Amino acid sequence: MEQTSALGSFVRRNRGLVVVVLLLIALLIFGSFYSDRFRTTSNILNVFEQSTGLALVSLGQTLTILTGGIDMSVGSMISLLSLLTSGLIDGKANLVVPVAAGILVLGALIGAINGLGIVWLKVHPLIVTLGMGALLQGIALLYSLGPAGKVPPNFKFLAYGKVLGLPIAAVFAILLFIAVALFLRYVRLGRYIYAVGDDHTGARLMGLPRSRVIIFVYTMSGICCALTSIYLVSRFGVGQPYTGINYTLASITPVVVGGTLLAGGRGGVIGTLLGAYLISLINNVLNFMDVSTHYQLIAQGLIVIAAVSIYVDKRKRI
Amino acid sequence: MSDAVHLQGTEDESNSSKLKTIASRFGIHIFLVALIVMSGIISPAFLSANNISNMLLQAAPLGIVVIGQAFVIILRGLDLSVASVMATAAVIATGFSGVNADVPAIVGVSLAIGAATGLVNGLLVTKRDVSPFLATLATMIVLQGFRFAYTQGAPSGNVPPLFRVIGSETLYGIPYNLMLLAVIAVIFTVVLSRSRFGREVYITGGNPVTARLLGINADRVTIIGYVISGVLASIAGLVLSGYVGIVDNWVGRGFELDSIVAAVMGGIALTGGRGTIIGGLVGAAILIVVFNAVLLFGMPVQLQIIIKGLVIVMAAAFYVRRSS
Repeated sequence: MEQTSALGSFVRRNRGLVVVVLLLIALLIFGSFYSDRFRTTSNILNVFEQSTGLALVSLGQTLTILTGGIDMSVGSMISLLSLLTSGLIDGKANLVVPVAAGILVLGALIGAINGLGIVWLKVHPLIVTLGMGALLQGIALLYSLGPAGKVPPNFKFLAYGKVLGLPIAAVFAILLFIAVALFLRYVRLGRYIYAVGDDHTGARLMGLPRSRVIIFVYTMSGICCALTSIYLVSRFGVGQPYTGINYTLASITPVVVGGTLLAGGRGGVIGTLLGAYLISLINNVLNFMDVSTHYQLIAQGLIVIAAVSIYVDKRKRI
Repeated sequence: MSDAVHLQGTEDESNSSKLKTIASRFGIHIFLVALIVMSGIISPAFLSANNISNMLLQAAPLGIVVIGQAFVIILRGLDLSVASVMATAAVIATGFSGVNADVPAIVGVSLAIGAATGLVNGLLVTKRDVSPFLATLATMIVLQGFRFAYTQGAPSGNVPPLFRVIGSETLYGIPYNLMLLAVIAVIFTVVLSRSRFGREVYITGGNPVTARLLGINADRVTIIGYVISGVLASIAGLVLSGYVGIVDNWVGRGFELDSIVAAVMGGIALTGGRGTIIGGLVGAAILIVVFNAVLLFGMPVQLQIIIKGLVIVMAAAFYVRRSS
């Protein structure tokens, strides 16, 4: 009896998550009936592997949205960082580790500048990160107008490599999500993220280190962009000045599908991970149904509308 | 005596605050004039009749979108779907046989799509409490999908000659599309500053609770605001199709951000309830001048984007300082 009521309250509190999980299961069942090729292990592993890029960038995006902000610079950041990854490595195996480390540091730095800009200039995060996005896109195009450099063949291992039959990048993403989920729940700074997003004035009155929290989440978003860039270069073999262009808006979809409110303060990263899986799975099923990518776009837009209509947000903000 | 000194002091204060008011009120206009003068000094070609006519020709599509964006932002919103509406209108402009007889049909269909998009945006924002950012993002993606499905990825066909005339030709050096912008700007400035609806827009954007207490139907006002933005975006798309002549699926790409940037630079606060159409148009003019100057000075075109990024943040910071 007690257990059922505990289950009941879990379902009530996480209605969105339950809906996403049910949708995932429904899609898996539907796809399995629809196509023999869909229900092969290799296809499911493929969906799992392909979701990694979206999942990683959405992880950082979730944190900024939890504080009531948003990071509109992720697309350009991914473009610039992936361009630099392949451009600087340029086929030399001995440069892989230092360049990858440098890219992570650079991502963190750009994110920190976003955070500092928001805190110092007191300008809405949307505007600051849009400005940063334009800046980074310009720099990327100044660096190269086309694909730049190359990576050694074994660099592919990061994206395509398997350990115990599982794609390592996707497994790494899951571990990272779990780590961040635990951080949000058990570490003080993690809980502050919710407090800042819940009510800016309240957070300041309580003496929360609002500035530090904001700089932290944008730094994390930058690091996630760097990880995404390294993954994408590993997958495609080269970076381009427009590699990330679709990720700015795409990174927001899993977040809202996963139940994180755009106004901040409520939600979590596990929902985002499930949201990223859901979107990858939908695209995969639509592929099997021979639906053109044009209609996949329509589907994605309708999902956003459906998701935001389910999680009604009374505290409207931009 | 001490009274006199005291009075003197307050007068000084009021003088300096008056100066501050003037600076903050017309700062953006002064900035635009300074920008033009500086560009003219650095490169005399900037002020040549040819270049000015060129800039004016490019200003109309952005200006028309900014007017719609102004309504939405004053209403505490944001319209990311404008570029998608523009591209859809442009695709429709080439979707017929390319003769002038098609113009009424093209205009009708385009405006209907713009109005419908605005209506959906408005309904989502008011009736479903969706944040404007997400509502307009979603309609943007859906519309983009329909557009790609309609064109199968590769639009073809010609823009009717009349659109070419309106979009790219001039009368005594004045572009037709600029005249269109002027007419639209005058109409909507009157609507915003002289009509009851305009007052309701400011009150609703400034404080929705007050609006409700005053008996204003805030939902209706907001929905109309989004419809205006959608309709103006479709007009801008048609004008732009006439300017570029050849249409692809991405005509108008970037206009959603440029229009928001122009509005914010022009003093239309993202927090709602403040700003004017003239301000938004001055913001648009600054963007056009900056883009033109970068190219004219022989700087790499990529600098356009970088400078735009810096200008966005600086302008927003300027207004935040001012309001606090």
